Amino acid sequence: MPSYRSINYVMRPAKSIERKMLAESFRRLHPFQRINEYRYVGFGSIYFSDFQLIHRELGIDDMISIEKDTYAKECFEFNKPYRSITIEFGLSGQILPTLDWTKRSIIWLDYDGKLDVDSLADIGTVSASCVSGTALVFSVNAHAEHQPRDQERADFERQTGKPFNIAEYLLSKLAQYIGPKIPPGTQGKDLHGNGVATVFHRTILNEIDEQLSRRNALLDPGDKMVCRQIGHFLYQDGALMLTVALVFFKASDLSVFEACGFDKLPFLRSGNDPYLIRVPCLTNKEIRYLNEQLPFLTATIRLKGPGIPDEVLKAYSEVYRYFPSFHEIVWS
Amino acid sequence: MPNPEDATLRINASPSKEFFIHMLTRDVQLTKAIIDLVDNCVDGARRLNGDGRFDGLWVRIELSSASFSITDNCGGIPVDTARNYAFRFGRPKNAEETPNSMGLFGVGMKRTFFKLGNQFEVNSKCKTEGFTMKVNVKDWIGEEEDTNNPEGWHFNFDTLETDLPQDPAREVGTAITVSDLHPTVAETLQLENFHAQLILELKTAHSLSIQQGLGITVNHVPVALQSHNLFVSTEFKPSMKELEYPREQIDGQQGSPVYVKLLAGLATRSLPEGGWYVFCNGRMVLNADKTELSIWGPSHEMRQYHPDFAYFRGYAFFDSEHSALLPWTTTKNGVDSDSALYRKVQLEMIEISKPVIAFLSGWAKQRYEAETSDDQLDTALTRAQAVEVATMDAPTTFSVAFQPRPQAGPRVQRIQYSKPYDEVEKAKTLLNVRSLKEVGERTFDYYMEYEGGN
Repeated sequence: MPSYRSINYVMRPAKSIERKMLAESFRRLHPFQRINEYRYVGFGSIYFSDFQLIHRELGIDDMISIEKDTYAKECFEFNKPYRSITIEFGLSGQILPTLDWTKRSIIWLDYDGKLDVDSLADIGTVSASCVSGTALVFSVNAHAEHQPRDQERADFERQTGKPFNIAEYLLSKLAQYIGPKIPPGTQGKDLHGNGVATVFHRTILNEIDEQLSRRNALLDPGDKMVCRQIGHFLYQDGALMLTVALVFFKASDLSVFEACGFDKLPFLRSGNDPYLIRVPCLTNKEIRYLNEQLPFLTATIRLKGPGIPDEVLKAYSEVYRYFPSFHEIVWS
Repeated sequence: MPNPEDATLRINASPSKEFFIHMLTRDVQLTKAIIDLVDNCVDGARRLNGDGRFDGLWVRIELSSASFSITDNCGGIPVDTARNYAFRFGRPKNAEETPNSMGLFGVGMKRTFFKLGNQFEVNSKCKTEGFTMKVNVKDWIGEEEDTNNPEGWHFNFDTLETDLPQDPAREVGTAITVSDLHPTVAETLQLENFHAQLILELKTAHSLSIQQGLGITVNHVPVALQSHNLFVSTEFKPSMKELEYPREQIDGQQGSPVYVKLLAGLATRSLPEGGWYVFCNGRMVLNADKTELSIWGPSHEMRQYHPDFAYFRGYAFFDSEHSALLPWTTTKNGVDSDSALYRKVQLEMIEISKPVIAFLSGWAKQRYEAETSDDQLDTALTRAQAVEVATMDAPTTFSVAFQPRPQAGPRVQRIQYSKPYDEVEKAKTLLNVRSLKEVGERTFDYYMEYEGGN
């Protein structure tokens, strides 16, 4: 079953928060050009949640959804929320290189799976082709491997002819995804918890560095393309997901990039420590009560809520503007 | 007869500095050029510890956009060697040989310096002597003294110490730094992906030295040991053969012979790792070769490498005190396939491979014809142990006690069909099975039970 049938993307609360945070970040790209004149490229699936948000919030009309499931074209066309969305059927690796890259774009490559050679190749395409002022958001599953079952242990022993070793096993699984792109010094014992996300984050940045180093050969210093990370998110609605948001710009456009002021948004991270999206569990009544105390006008004020733990209050104060509200509606 | 003294009859054939600085550097990739410097460290380690272990010896490589450095504690470059041989372009006839060395052409080190940047500095400390030298390549190329007289090309020592008193605490070794890097080199050396690639290539090229205890790091990350295994069990035995070629047959001179050790057998099924591995004096020069450079293809009356042969591994170890006798190329990234010695050994490589390839072809054929179940070979390999090829020192011939059995009972046929994903998943749940093969077999059995009169 395709993942869009097993998970309703709209209902994933952390993802929903991330989406709204990203939309707010994209709004800051305006020093490069009017936001509504950007192009948006994403994987809309049948829900088009990101497309709806981008169109409503940023006014972008020119939108392309890449859809790999070519057997259900009618279904995707039917679910398209706006007529200005073009659906390109095919794998991202097929479609991305054929797009018109002279358009300044916001590209969100939101994969279901882990980072692999194909998704790294997509990063390569964007890095090699995009124009100054392009935003790339890259999301992958970064969940650590589950404990190997007896069969997997036996398979490992059979394939290697050696006794089972968990560190080597985890490293070999990672190698199946990203092979020679594993960052130097990566050890199997680090690949639990958020360890895979840390490795993937580094691999993504390394890939961009490598591609840009090739692209920039022979160019004058001002024309060299630079990439800066603006966002780094981790969240877990089910599997642990990693999102890295980046902006590409020509070195001579540094002041334009700085004018965007991405560092003004408290949830954006430009370094190796990710922003963890935590979704507090609150009732509608609690939410209304807490909202009345927000926003804080001075930094010293703390939220108060009857019997609500402090960490939940803190988490809510960080995400309240992006917090999804779910309601059951009875149609009569 | 023309008079050799007549200057008008002389044709200038002397080399130019530009040739070494701008042309020869094109023939070698950056990673390979750096690995070439490690070859010199290993030769130093050999001089220090003979043919023994390298425990306690290390090579540290550091890369950044500003500089490249390689430091070792492998004994240093003797002053006499530096003065007369190490920095000459090409090895002079009278140069003293390091037995079983990896460096042999007198090309690698200088070529790497030129490839990397414009300024290099060598600092060598031996037990009772040492030197430093700094060279600015742009200045050196501009020195006019010797445009047409390569015999006069020279560098200068900046400091020189000789006849120092013996001091057991003195740390001996070589430190080389290249700075004022060429722009593309500077750009590349800062990439982590380049570091990863260099580590990967060092791991293969120097796997034997690392196995002997040499520690190599790149920006403080240790280069891991890569083992070379063949599967051995009561059912499978690899081939091992030792050969010896007298020096006189190779270059007509007296001296120690070339020893060759060949192994072929089965190992983990892996498409990229299958193939032939060739080592010269412990340095890997062919890595999992799948081309006619080793044994594959019609020019050798052999089949092309193919997924059916992903279990195959072949190893050839060439060793000689006189490294020039071995079939390497100056970039050490391949073999000199025109070398008479290599051509002779290649025949042996082909012959030692044939029984393994024949077994794998036959087994694949039976599997395609559905006469055996898919996993028989895998299951048999489960009972095998991975044995390090370096430890295999008794000649053996390839033998397989394992015979792919035809399925017991009457002849069988294979059926293949596609059904909607959801329906197959449902059938899996209803049948309580995990594999698609089981779904097929159980549904077929079910039908035959009710309709086939079983």
